[in-house]
Amino acid sequence: MDRNVSAESASPVEALLDKVAALFSWVWLALIAVIVFAVVLRYAFGIGRIEFEELQWHLYAAGFMIGIVACASRDRHVRVDVLRENMAPRTRDWIDLYGILLLQLPFLTLVFLSSLPFVADSFSVGERSASAGGLPYRWLLKSMLPLTFGLLFVTTLSHLARVWRRLFADRPASDRE
Amino acid sequence: MSVREWLAVAMFASFIFGILSGFPVAWVLGGVAVLFTAIAIIVEQDFGHFTGVDWNFTSLVTDRIWDLMDNWVLVALPMFVCMGLLLDRAGIAADLMRDISRLFGRMRGGLAVTVALIGVVLAASTGIIGASVVLLALLGLPPMLEARYAPTFAAGTVCAVGTLGILLPPSIMLVLMADRLAISVGDLFLGAVIPGLMLAGLYITFLILYPAFRPDVAPAPEHAEDVDLALVLSVFRDIVPAAALILAVLGSIFFGIATPTEASGVGAFGALLLAAWRRRLGRNVLRDVLRETTLTTGYLFGIFVGASAFALVLRGLGGDELIARGLLGLPFGPNGVVLSILLVTFLLGFFLDWIEITFIVLPLVAPVVVGLGFDLVWFTVLFAVCLQTSFLTPPVGFALFYVKGVAPPEIDIRTLYVGILPFVGLQLLGLAFIFIWPDLVTWLPARAYSQ
Repeated sequence: MDRNVSAESASPVEALLDKVAALFSWVWLALIAVIVFAVVLRYAFGIGRIEFEELQWHLYAAGFMIGIVACASRDRHVRVDVLRENMAPRTRDWIDLYGILLLQLPFLTLVFLSSLPFVADSFSVGERSASAGGLPYRWLLKSMLPLTFGLLFVTTLSHLARVWRRLFADRPASDRE
Repeated sequence: MSVREWLAVAMFASFIFGILSGFPVAWVLGGVAVLFTAIAIIVEQDFGHFTGVDWNFTSLVTDRIWDLMDNWVLVALPMFVCMGLLLDRAGIAADLMRDISRLFGRMRGGLAVTVALIGVVLAASTGIIGASVVLLALLGLPPMLEARYAPTFAAGTVCAVGTLGILLPPSIMLVLMADRLAISVGDLFLGAVIPGLMLAGLYITFLILYPAFRPDVAPAPEHAEDVDLALVLSVFRDIVPAAALILAVLGSIFFGIATPTEASGVGAFGALLLAAWRRRLGRNVLRDVLRETTLTTGYLFGIFVGASAFALVLRGLGGDELIARGLLGLPFGPNGVVLSILLVTFLLGFFLDWIEITFIVLPLVAPVVVGLGFDLVWFTVLFAVCLQTSFLTPPVGFALFYVKGVAPPEIDIRTLYVGILPFVGLQLLGLAFIFIWPDLVTWLPARAYSQ
């Protein structure tokens, strides 16, 4: 795993996403609380409520989607660094440049664009849980898809700008790294 | 082979090439899927070969990601990650290392056995290879080297025991495998218990016998203290709460009292209480643990998302029929087909992590194996042990690289290669046992149902 704790300070976008991720991290505590509460209700009082089960995966889905963004903005997504370890910093930057342009941005664009009608369909029919007693406003959770991939796009642009600067703007700075 | 099947092969090759470049695995997976969608469209429109993949087809990736979100089983993943981090921060592993090693103070190889026991007890915190191997290396290597253990012996122990953690339940790898194959997480956990403990038993036997024949690998301790009642009590005080927590989590799943998701949440809650009771749970620690849970979950699910897109397009290009035809066309009987799958999995494990293999390879081969009349839980455990062996095996074993990253300088990559060899042998032995006696896997789940 490559942890990019470079001397360069985070861009304003990354700093903001870091704060958002820190705030969202509390969902795990909320998730623990909901699970424990639901378990107690079920085993102590014999009450099984579908909305608690749904609330659990709603919290989890929001948490992992923001986690994907947080990893991207901190460059914590898993890399296979068997070969990367021995590469010059400039070689790494070239790989990141081509990777972002040919792989990452096209993928993020595809998911972002195809998630828009997905959410719109859900919103137009006022989709809610199919189970009796389930949660309403399913389109709200589905909106996490375009939101996440939009944020991923923005943080990837910020990464692209940094790689671009290192490769083409300030050579001395890139040699220092 | 048709043109679209050649595309499927080229897609897989591009993926391997892509991840070796060191670009994040998640985006290589997703990007290659989009790239090959574009290629498939060109091949169909301009060259007139049917491919069956276009933008509408690949847009289904949104539905696949939604399937990951609308998924109650996988809620257990971040909860087990969080539980593991809490047990780690509660300092339980460090206390266990100190006390159990005193308990085995007079025994040759005692420190190595201690590391093995900690690996088994804390397997919960070790669903992720990197995390468990690093934890054990930081904790176990310095005292073993200080006690003049052979570096090969010490390093081999740490790599092997750390990797065993991904197999022992509660294991996030098994949760994901069960989810992808639509089998019960409880069954798979149960099925993995005996094989996991058997492997641990093989390791410990080796760690005791080998120094007895080769005293130079683990010299007798110089100033060992006597084992007295106070020491035994102190070991109990450390080990009982953590072990009880993990047994409660597993027990409630096995006896059908709680679903794995409920057990994972209650387990995380228990770990929270345990950390608080040990006075290790300040506000800062809690915040760190939760943030680290977000990041670990984030990189796991990043690969899930990318792998969903990749698997979708690979299937669209007929990759599943290609695999099925290839496997069934092998000139072997059913056992030969399973062995061939395991061999290929073993080789793929050199390059790919368990996540990609679970998302892409396992769902392609599992239907073939079931069609041949094998038990799916048995096959999945066999597959998991095979992957685990692969992560230990030079030249590219993942575990070795993680240990190399945190080990003292006298442990170079050669030391690791030599040290791991006996354990690879034990793994293959274990794999053979599971293959020959499927009861090792199927007996426990069958018993749970008969109650």
